[in-house]
Amino acid sequence: MSSALKILNVAKCVKTLCSSVSNKFLSSSLLNRMQSQQQQNVLTALSALNTRTFHSTSPRQDLMEFFDDPKNWSENEVKVGRAWKLEELRIKSNKELHQLWYILLKERNMLLTMEHECNDKMELFPSPERLDKVKISMGNLETVVRERNKAYHLLETGITGERPTRMVHNPLGLRHLYRSCEHVLPPHMNVKWIKSRDIGFGGRAVRKFLLLYREKLYNIKRKAKNRSRNEVMMLLRRNPNIDVQVLRSKYPNVDIDKLLRDDKTRGHFVPKVGV
Amino acid sequence: MSTRWYPIYQRGNPQLRIFLPNFWMKLIRPAEEQPKNVATFSVSMQMTKYDIKNYLEKIYKLPVVDVRTRIEMGKTKRDQTFGYVTKEDDVKIAYVTLLKTEEFTFPDLFSKKEEQKKAEEKSLDDSKQGFKRFLDRNKKRPGTPGWYSI
Repeated sequence: MSSALKILNVAKCVKTLCSSVSNKFLSSSLLNRMQSQQQQNVLTALSALNTRTFHSTSPRQDLMEFFDDPKNWSENEVKVGRAWKLEELRIKSNKELHQLWYILLKERNMLLTMEHECNDKMELFPSPERLDKVKISMGNLETVVRERNKAYHLLETGITGERPTRMVHNPLGLRHLYRSCEHVLPPHMNVKWIKSRDIGFGGRAVRKFLLLYREKLYNIKRKAKNRSRNEVMMLLRRNPNIDVQVLRSKYPNVDIDKLLRDDKTRGHFVPKVGV
Repeated sequence: MSTRWYPIYQRGNPQLRIFLPNFWMKLIRPAEEQPKNVATFSVSMQMTKYDIKNYLEKIYKLPVVDVRTRIEMGKTKRDQTFGYVTKEDDVKIAYVTLLKTEEFTFPDLFSKKEEQKKAEEKSLDDSKQGFKRFLDRNKKRPGTPGWYSI
C-alpha cells in the first residue's frame, strides 16, 4: 500500500509538472479547455461516487453477512450484473479499489458459504456463475493494481518490481520457471536444501526418460507442423484462386512456394488449356 | 497473497500488512452441537489462528474471543471399475468463539423451498390432467385443434 500511496504522490507530481510545462508552451485557450474538462471529469466522478453505491443491501454487522439475502434463499435463479471490466477499474482511485476488493471478498465468502450449504442439503446452487464473475472481477482488480505498481517501480527504480523469476533445472533435468521467494535461512546454511541438490540428473534412467520426453515434445511439434501444412494444402487444392499472401501471413511456418510446386495442391478438375 | 506471495514471519513491529488478502472463509453448519456463541468455519488452508481472528475482526467487525483450528483429512475413495484411489482435499476447520452475549444458530435456508416444490408439482399435475382431458375428448376426432370446441 505504501507503494500505492507513492503512486498517488507521483501522480500529483506529474500533474504539477504537466501544468507547469503546459503554462509555458500551450496557448491559453487550450489550457482553459483542458482545465474545464478536468473539472468536468472530477464532477462526474464525484456524482458517480454519490449515486452508485457498491453494496446493494444495507451492511449487517454480524454472521448473517455470510449468507445471501433471505429473499434469494428459495430462488432458483438470482439475477446479477456482470463482472468489473479492466477499463472500469483503471479509472478508480487506489482507495476505491481497496474498498472494492473487500466487497468482492465478502461476496465470494457469501457465495462459497451458500454453495457449501446447498451441496450439503442436496440442493441446486442458484446462479453459480456469480462465483465466476467475482473471480473475474478480482483478477481484473489485481491486474490494475499490478499495472500501477509496475508503472511506479519503473518510474522510480527502472525495474518492474515484480516477483523475480529464473529458469532452473529440477532433479529430473527439466527446466522450469522458478519464482523466487523469501527463506528463513540463507542458502549456504540450509543443509536440507543443499542435500536435496545432491541428487543429480546424470543417471541412466533419467537420461532415458529425458530422451523419451524430448521425443514426445518433438512429436507434438512435428504433428502440429504437418497439420498446418495439410491445412494449407487442402485450402490450395479447393480454392485455386486463393490469396497466397493471406495464407503466408496466416501460416508463417509453412513453405507455401514448395507446396505450390507440389502436385498435391492441384484440384480434381481438368485445367483450362488455351484460354 | 493475491499478486504477491505469502511473506515469512518476521519478529518485531511493525508487522507486515496485507492489503489485498486472498483468503476465503466459509461459514458451515456444525457437525456436532456447539454453544450458541461458537461458529464453525471452513477456511483457507494457509490461514493461521491469528489470521482468522484478524480477518473476522477487521473485515467483518466481529468480536472474536477465541479461535481453535483443526485440519480435516479429505476422504479417500476407491474407483469401482478401475480400482485406483482418489482423495479429496484436506480442509481447515476453525471454531470461532464470539462474545458470550452473541447468539448464532445456523439458519434453515430451504424451509420455503419445500412449499415451492409442492406448489410446482401441483401445477405440473394440473397441466398433466388438463392435457389428459383434452386427449380423452379428442379420442374420436383425432387432429382437431384445441380451439375447435369448448
